[in-house]
Amino acid sequence: MPTELVMPHEAVERFLGRLIDEGPVMGPRERVSQPGFVHFDWLSDPGDLRLNYQTTTIPPKKAFFAPREVLFDFELTDPPKITAVREAEPFTLVGVHPCDLEALRMLDDAYAKEPAEACWPANRARARVIGVDCMPDEYCFCTTADSCYSRARCDLFLTPIERGYFVEVLTPAGEDMLRVSDVDEATDEDREQAKDFGREKAGAMTARLDATPEELAEILESGQFTELWNEIASRCYSCGSCNTTCPTCFCFDINDEFDLGLTGGRRVRSWDSCQLAEFALVAGGHNFRRLRWQRVRHRWYRKFAYLYRTFGRPYCTGCGRCSRACTADINIVDVTNELITRAREGDRQGVQG
Amino acid sequence: MIDHDAVPPAEDITRFYQPELARVIGKWQMTEMMVLLRLQPASGERLDHAPGQFLQISLPGYGEAPISFCSSPTQTDSFELCVQSVGNLSEALHDLRPGDFVGVRGPYGHGFPVEDMRGRDVLIVAGGIGIAPLRSLINYMADRRPDFGRVIIVYGARNPSERLFVEDVESWDARDDFETWFTVDEPDESWTGMTGVVTVPLREVEIDPARTTAAVVGPPVMYRYVAMELLNKQLAEDDILFSLERRFKCGMGKCGHCQLNDLYVCQDGPVFRYTQLIGRTEAIEVWAPDEQKG
Repeated sequence: MPTELVMPHEAVERFLGRLIDEGPVMGPRERVSQPGFVHFDWLSDPGDLRLNYQTTTIPPKKAFFAPREVLFDFELTDPPKITAVREAEPFTLVGVHPCDLEALRMLDDAYAKEPAEACWPANRARARVIGVDCMPDEYCFCTTADSCYSRARCDLFLTPIERGYFVEVLTPAGEDMLRVSDVDEATDEDREQAKDFGREKAGAMTARLDATPEELAEILESGQFTELWNEIASRCYSCGSCNTTCPTCFCFDINDEFDLGLTGGRRVRSWDSCQLAEFALVAGGHNFRRLRWQRVRHRWYRKFAYLYRTFGRPYCTGCGRCSRACTADINIVDVTNELITRAREGDRQGVQG
Repeated sequence: MIDHDAVPPAEDITRFYQPELARVIGKWQMTEMMVLLRLQPASGERLDHAPGQFLQISLPGYGEAPISFCSSPTQTDSFELCVQSVGNLSEALHDLRPGDFVGVRGPYGHGFPVEDMRGRDVLIVAGGIGIAPLRSLINYMADRRPDFGRVIIVYGARNPSERLFVEDVESWDARDDFETWFTVDEPDESWTGMTGVVTVPLREVEIDPARTTAAVVGPPVMYRYVAMELLNKQLAEDDILFSLERRFKCGMGKCGHCQLNDLYVCQDGPVFRYTQLIGRTEAIEVWAPDEQKG
């Protein structure tokens, strides 16, 4: 099968219906209780899929790293009995935007760093992934976050064209999902339309970072910028929405839950946020990021300096979710560009941050 | 297609989070707030820790917390943890009895670099419960005495009743080849030793800075003053070892709770050379006062 095909509009539901027949499928759909609000959820009816959607509030990383994930069950026998709990059923994740494909690859790297974590890759191994291209809104800045054209580790990638979707077949698993009846040969006209879509997408991007990742890391490493962090912190509520909606945040907490009968329970891993006041609290009561500005600062340094130095790319995909979700309208692009401006002005005046 | 054989069994996937069982074989109330637990892995296998490393101890239903080993790895049949009563888990650990089970996973982190310390003088500076991880190192040196030069122990507690490991402390004091300096901040009638914070005796200690390594563990407030004293003694920044406390949740550099600037304390520490911490703004508790820069 050639690697570039076209799935006509009328074939999409049939294709998806067959995937649903094969096993669970997660994709963008309207929340039943909230029409118009699209989120990633399990699909039972192919007609529910919304491939043309604006960035979801919660990223699709939740398919592999659930907001709340049971690690093992325990029974309070003597000795206590511990039973590992894992979902093992294969599934398909449909409709992932390029920025989110890139985020999933970044989390692959983060969890694979020695000593490697095993829950994430085990969940990744269960899933086939189908990407889809999108148009930006005013919060998106993926062209300057190196994720606009990502096809990272997806099996099929769909680009909207006039007669349906231009399909890039990227892996044998992707090829395996398609049947001859789903797709046509791509013509030069189809290819041109797909390319136009990508050009139009990049051209429609209004938000952008004013420095390269390397420049940004060097700026952060060159000074403290305490004044800027204090200004941002004076608006921040430390609610953690930025972390909760971030596709590349991977911090977590681990807690135990008892059953009502108090004879057993489970150990649970759940998303956590470095913006919450108690995140860096230790047993003796000392808090290593007690002040709000220290936590705000930590988020920028972690994304644009620490993880950039470790993994070779900033841990930000330009999806804009944190800016959309921020209860105080703190915009990641505005803050980062303000940082860049002050650093460059400081350089011109011969002083550092 | 998905290769089912490629997905490992559940136990392998959660192995990082899943504790092994260990049995309580001894328990001693050391002070009002502190108990010492002696534990043995139910598997019979040794944990094989290094002094300064920590493990995650848990009780099903109460959760998990990181605690430093306080026994020497030369004690091979069991290991010991010193538990301070501060929350639900530690209070439940205080209620354990010999024969009860706990969950353990580890050891984690970089402990004291005992190989690099071989042949050198070692200056121990312990404040409060900081004596617990340092006891692991001190008793290791006691059992490997010819490997080390002078061993100088400076231990400060808040008051005489909060002194930990009193029997060990007496045995160290009784040795001709250990130099010991003990102090309390708040003496009572029974106390005949020095009075004042740990830097008071530390100021008196004479060392050869070229051949001395200092190992320091104590409350956050202690570090910068100890650093200042050690630097006054011309000790090289690289020869000052600090063990830092952070709130490890995973122990494998993933959960983010222990992040100190770009370092994960659970992986890169908890024992650091002072050189690693200078300039890292989130280790500010260890900076000597003249180096504090906001």
